[in-house]
Amino acid sequence: MRDLPSGLSRKRGGGPVKKIRLSIDGRDITVPERTTVLEAAAALDIAIPTLCHRDGIEPFTSCMVCVVLETRTGKLIPACTAPTAEGMRIETDTPAVRKARRDSLDFLLSEHVGECEAPCTRACPTGMNIPRMIREIRSGRFDLAVKTVKRHIALPAVLGRICPAPCEKACRRREHDQPVSICLLKRLSADQDLQAESPFRPEGDPPGGKTVAVVGAGPAGLAAAYFLSLLGHLCTIFDKNSRAGGTLRTAVPKDILPESVLDADIGGIIGHGVTFMPGRELGRNLDLEGLCKSVDAVLLTPGTVSPSLFDGSDLEMSLKGIKITRPGYTTSRPGVFAAGGVVAESKMAVRAVGQGREAALSIHRFLEGHNPDDNQDVFHSLFGRLQPEEIKEYLQEAEADGRVEPAGEREGGFTREEAVREAGRCFGCDCRKLTDCRLRRFAAEYGTDQKRYRAGERRPIEKIQQHADVVYEPGKCIKCGLCVRITKNSAETLGLTFVGRGFDVRVEAPFGEPLDRALVKAAAECVEACPTAALSWKDRKEKTP
Amino acid sequence: MANPEQTVDPKDIDRIIQSVGREAGRIIPLLHAIQKKYNYLPEDALRLLCDRTDIRPADVTGIASFYTGFRLTPAGEHIIQVCTGTACHVKGAERVYDALCRELRIGSGKDTDPEGRFTLQNVACLGCCTIAPVVQIDTVTYGHVTTDGVGRMLEDFLRRGTDKKALTDGRRAKNGTGEIRLGLGSCCIAGGSGLVWEELERNLERAGIQTTVKRVGCVGMCHRTPLLEIDLPDRDPILYEKVRPEDVPSIVGRHFRPKSILSRIKNTAVRTLENLLEDPSINGFSRHPLHARDPQVGAFLGRQIHIATEHYGQIDPIDLDEYRRRDGFKALEDCLKGKTPDEVIDRIKASGLRGRGGAGFPTGEKWRITRASGDPETSVICNGDEGDPGAFMDRMILESYPFRVIEGMAVAAYAVGAGRGYFYIRAEYPLAVRRVRAALNKCREAGFLGTRIFGSAFSLDLDIMEGAGAFVCGEETALIASMEGKRGNPVFRPPYPAQKGLWGHATLVNNCETLATVPWILRHGVESYTRLGTEKSKGTKVFSLAGKVARGGLIEVPMGITIREIVEDIGGGIEGGGSFKAVQIGGPSGGCVPADRAGTRVDYEDLTRVGAMMGSGGLLVLDDSDCMVDIARYFLTFTCRQSCGKCTFCRIGTRRMLSILDAVCEGRGRADDLNKLEEIAAATKRGSLCGLGKTAPNPVLTTLAYFRDEYEAHLNGVCPAKKCKALITYGINERCIGCTICAQNCPSGAIQATPYKKHQIDGEACIKCGTCLQVCPENAVEVR
Repeated sequence: MRDLPSGLSRKRGGGPVKKIRLSIDGRDITVPERTTVLEAAAALDIAIPTLCHRDGIEPFTSCMVCVVLETRTGKLIPACTAPTAEGMRIETDTPAVRKARRDSLDFLLSEHVGECEAPCTRACPTGMNIPRMIREIRSGRFDLAVKTVKRHIALPAVLGRICPAPCEKACRRREHDQPVSICLLKRLSADQDLQAESPFRPEGDPPGGKTVAVVGAGPAGLAAAYFLSLLGHLCTIFDKNSRAGGTLRTAVPKDILPESVLDADIGGIIGHGVTFMPGRELGRNLDLEGLCKSVDAVLLTPGTVSPSLFDGSDLEMSLKGIKITRPGYTTSRPGVFAAGGVVAESKMAVRAVGQGREAALSIHRFLEGHNPDDNQDVFHSLFGRLQPEEIKEYLQEAEADGRVEPAGEREGGFTREEAVREAGRCFGCDCRKLTDCRLRRFAAEYGTDQKRYRAGERRPIEKIQQHADVVYEPGKCIKCGLCVRITKNSAETLGLTFVGRGFDVRVEAPFGEPLDRALVKAAAECVEACPTAALSWKDRKEKTP
Repeated sequence: MANPEQTVDPKDIDRIIQSVGREAGRIIPLLHAIQKKYNYLPEDALRLLCDRTDIRPADVTGIASFYTGFRLTPAGEHIIQVCTGTACHVKGAERVYDALCRELRIGSGKDTDPEGRFTLQNVACLGCCTIAPVVQIDTVTYGHVTTDGVGRMLEDFLRRGTDKKALTDGRRAKNGTGEIRLGLGSCCIAGGSGLVWEELERNLERAGIQTTVKRVGCVGMCHRTPLLEIDLPDRDPILYEKVRPEDVPSIVGRHFRPKSILSRIKNTAVRTLENLLEDPSINGFSRHPLHARDPQVGAFLGRQIHIATEHYGQIDPIDLDEYRRRDGFKALEDCLKGKTPDEVIDRIKASGLRGRGGAGFPTGEKWRITRASGDPETSVICNGDEGDPGAFMDRMILESYPFRVIEGMAVAAYAVGAGRGYFYIRAEYPLAVRRVRAALNKCREAGFLGTRIFGSAFSLDLDIMEGAGAFVCGEETALIASMEGKRGNPVFRPPYPAQKGLWGHATLVNNCETLATVPWILRHGVESYTRLGTEKSKGTKVFSLAGKVARGGLIEVPMGITIREIVEDIGGGIEGGGSFKAVQIGGPSGGCVPADRAGTRVDYEDLTRVGAMMGSGGLLVLDDSDCMVDIARYFLTFTCRQSCGKCTFCRIGTRRMLSILDAVCEGRGRADDLNKLEEIAAATKRGSLCGLGKTAPNPVLTTLAYFRDEYEAHLNGVCPAKKCKALITYGINERCIGCTICAQNCPSGAIQATPYKKHQIDGEACIKCGTCLQVCPENAVEVR
C-alpha cells in the first residue's frame, strides 16, 4: 500500500482530513478526502490521458478522454473530476476504457479541421519538413534550411535537379495560383551548402559497433548508408560498378545532372563511416550467404535486376521483385532487408531515396533489438480540399504574388534573393503544434480513425491573426475551455468565453472584441495549455536540432 | 432594415440594476429585465451592465448566447413564436413556419419582415400541445393554425392587438347566486378564454347579474378548450366546451335572469338578433354543452385519479381561502405540529414516491441524503423547467395548483432542514410565473411562509427564478449552475446536489409534480397512496396526452395502467380514423413504444425495459401518417439544439446522429448508415456526462428496434408514411372538380388550373407545403 505524497494532500478547509482507501489497476492507495481519481492515479505513476484538464485549474469534464472504469458499478467515469471514494476499484486500461477513449477521440477528430503535416511533406517520399525549410529560406537562413533538408534527404543537390517534385503537386498554393517552387528552393539550399568550406553533415549517434552491408550504390543504397551511418552503424556499400551512383550516373543526362554535383552529394556520404567496395556484384563475386555471416544486417538495393539472381536463396519473391514487409522492409530472411528497384521498379529517384531512409530506420530498429515492422504509428489529421473562400485565411501569412521565375533559365536555379521571395509565397500549411499537440499524440496512441464519425459537412478554416503573438484557429478547438478558465482565473478584463451552445459552441472574446484585447496577461499560459493548435504562437519557435 | 440598434439610456440600466440586484449571480434576471425593456439585448446596455457591476464581459456574452430566450439582435415590433413541440411537429409546425415566412416575405437567413413589424422565431415548446400547431404572437396564442390560415391569424392579431385579459388575472367575482367557472390555463387562454372572460364580464354587467365568476385552473380536457362551467344551486353543473365570445350572451341568457326589465328587453333583443343571424341549434353553443354523464367525458375522466391535480377545474388557482377550505396547508400544519423531520421522511419513503421529473429516484431517499448533510444553509428547489417538447404537466400544475406545490415545498424544506427555497420556472411559462408569484405573496401575508410558521420554530422563504430557454437546465446540476448565474452546463455527480449544490450547499431538487403529490400523501396516509400503482412504481402519474388522439389533455392516471388503456379508453382512440401506430413516451429522453407493445404498463422499470422512459410525462400518440424516422430526426434535432456542448459525446454524437437521420429522411442514406447510427448511439449513451446525452439516443434506438423496416424503406427512397418531403410528390386525382381553390391558395404557383378541368401540379415548382391538400374540398390531392 502506498500513501499519497504529502505534497499532493491539499488542505481544503479546516478539520482533520479523512482518508480514503481505494485501488487503481489492482494497486492499493490511501488518499485524503476530495482527491480525484486522476490525482490518485498520478501518485501511483499511472498515466491517464487528458485533454481538458490542467493541474491547478478547476476541472471542466469536457473531453471525456480520461474515462476509467469503476468496477463496482461497471460505470465509466471521468478521472479528472470523479472524487475518490472508499473501497473504489478503478481500472484504467481495460478494452472498454480504451474503446471509450477512442470513441471520444474519434468524435473530436471528426470535426477537427486541421492537418498535422503539410500536404507537401506528406507527398514527399522522404518525409522532409518542407515548410520549415521554406521558412528558413524566407528568413535568409540557408544554413538552417540545408540542415532541415539533410535531416531527411541524403542527396539534396541531386534531387534538386531531377526530382519530379510530388510535393509541388500536393502544394495547397496550387489551389490558388501555382505551387511554391519547392524543388528549386531545396536545390539552392543544397548548392549553397556544397559551396561552403565544409558542407553540413548532421551530427550522428555515437558508434554502436554494429555492421551493415548494403548491396548496390544507387539512390536507395546511398540514402540508406547515409542514415545508417548517422545512426551509428558501420556501413559497407558493394556495387558492381567502379563508382557509386547507380542509375543516377548511368541513366540521367549529364546536362541535367552534372557529374560534379552527383560526386559532391556522394562525397557527403562515402567516407563518413561508409566504406565503398566497387566492382562487387551479387552472384558473381559477392555471396549473400557469406555477407549474412559477416555482418549484422544486409540491405539489398541492387536496383532492377533479374529475379533469377535470387534463385537458390531462401528469399521469397513477388511478381515485381523481392517480397518485403511494410513498413519494415524485411525480406523472408531475418536480418536481410530490401528496398528500391529490387522490390518494385520505379523511375522516381526520390522514391528510392525515401525508401533507403525508411529501410535504414527499420534496420536500426532491428539492430536495437526491436521488431523492425513495429513502426510507431504517426497520426495525420486531414481535412480534404480547400474551399475557394478559405484561401484568404492562408494568404494572411503569404505573399500575394505569383510564382517567382528564376531570372536565368529554370535550369540555372534561383538566386538567393529570388529564393527568399519565392519562399514568401508558402502558405505554411503545417500545424504549429506538430510535436506538442496532445490530440495528435493520443490519436496515435489509441489508433483512432478520423473518418469514422466524419459527416459530409466541415467547418470552414479560419486563422485568426488579431493578436501580435498568437494565432487562433477555431477549427482546431476542441472546446475544452482551458483558455476560458485560465483567462478567468488570471483576471483578464475581457478574457475568453464560450459563445452559443451545443455543437456550434465557439470560444471567442466577449462582444466580438479582437483576440489581442482578450489575451493581455494570459496569452502564454493559454497557448501552452491549449491541447491542440487552436491557440499557438505565431512565431513557431522551431527547435534547432 | 426597419429595426436599427436602439439607443440605451444609462439611467435605465442603473434603474434595472437597482431593482434586480448587482451580484454576479443575478445576471440572468438582469438580462431578462434588459430584454423586457428593449425587446433584445443591445450591446451598449450589456457593456454598461459590466461597467456598473462586477459582472464580467465574458460571462455576459457566455450567458446571453447560451440561453435561447435572449436575443442579441434588434427584433421587430411583435415577436411571433412558432412552437416546435412534438405535438406541433406532427401536426405540421414546420409548414406553418414556412407559410409565415412566405406571408411576411422573410427571406432566407433573416427572421424579421422587411417592414420590421414581425420577428419570426421557433420556440422549443409552448406547452399547449392539445391545440397544436400553436403560434404565439407576443402574448397572444393561436391554436390549430393552418398554412392557409396564417394570413387571417396575422390580420386578427393586428386588429385585436394584445389580448390583455390573457395575462391579467381578471377581477374577483362578486357574491351572488351560483358560480361560473372559466378555465384560464394557458391552453384555455390560447383557445380564447381570455376573450370569453371579457365578454362574460360585459354581459353580466349589462344584465346586472350577480354571480361568482371564477377563473379555474386546467380542467384537463384541453382538446375542448375554452371550457366554461356553470354551477347553480340545486342543479347539475353544466360544462360548455369550445366556447366562443359570441356564444356568451346566449349562455348567460339561458341560465341567468337579467335584473332589470330594461336590460331584460335589451338582452332579449340582442339574443333575437343573434338568432336571426345564426341559428344556435346549428352553429351556436348548443352543440357544446357537456355533462359528466356524457359518455365521452365519462370515459375521459373515468380511469383518472386526481392527486397532484386534485380539485381539477374547480378551484381558483390563487384563492388561498378556497385552498384552505379544501384542507390546504393541513399537511404542513400536521408536520410542523406533530412530526419530526425524520418521521416525515419515513412517511415519504414508505409511500414509495419517486421523482416525477423522469429518472424516478426515490424521493424519500433523496430527502434523507439531503438531511444527512446537516448543512445549515440547505435549500430546496422546485424544478419547473419543463423542457420536454410535448409535455405540459408542470406548467399546468404551477398554473392551477401553486399553493399545493408551495405546501409540498414547505414540507420538504421542513423535512430536510432548509430555510430557503426557489422555484425554477421556464421563461416560456409566463402565466405560471405570475400565478406562483401571486400565490407566494398570499402565503407570506397569511403566514404560511416567513418565520415561525404555524407557531413552530420552522421558517421558510421562497423565491422565483425564471429560466431563459435551455432544456438542459432541467438537469439538476445545470439548473443549479443557471441559478448561480452561469451557463447551464451540467457537472459530474457525485457530489450530488443533495450533498453539495446551490452555492456549494446541500440542495434538494424536486420536480413540481413530485412536490404537488406530497401533501396528498400526508393527508390521506401512506397506505392510500401505496394502494395505487405497481410494486415499484406507486401512486399516480400526470401525463400530457397529445398527438393523434381523439381526446387530448392533461390526465392523471394510476401507475400500472397500460398504454393501450390510456390511448383507447381515456384518449378515445385515434382521431380522424387513422390507425394507432405507436406512442412516444418520455419526450427526447424516451422512446417509441409500438402499438403491438401497447400492453406495456406505466411503470418506471417496465418502460425502461422496452427502451423508453417514464420521462416527465409527455405522451404523444402517433398514427400511420407519422413517419418514425422523421420522429427520431425530430427529437435529435431537439437534443442537438439543446445540448449544452460541454462534453464531447453529447456535443458531437447528437450532431452526427442527426446528420445521418437528415440524410435518411432526404433520401441520401447509405446502406451502412443504420449500423453507424447504432454505433454512435451506443457511444453517446455510454460516454455522455449527463442525462441529456445519455438518453438522447433513445428515440433513435427504439425506432430502429421497432421500425427498422421504415428506415430501410427510406434507404430505398420510400417514406411509407408519406411524410418526408424529399421522398414524396403531390398530385391531383380524378376526383378533382376543377374548382381552382388549390391554385388560388398555392403559394408557389405550382398548380395550373383551368376551371372545371382537372388541375395539374408542376412537380418542379411545388414546394410540398401541403396547402392544396388542406384546402381541397374533394380530397382530390394525393401524396405519392
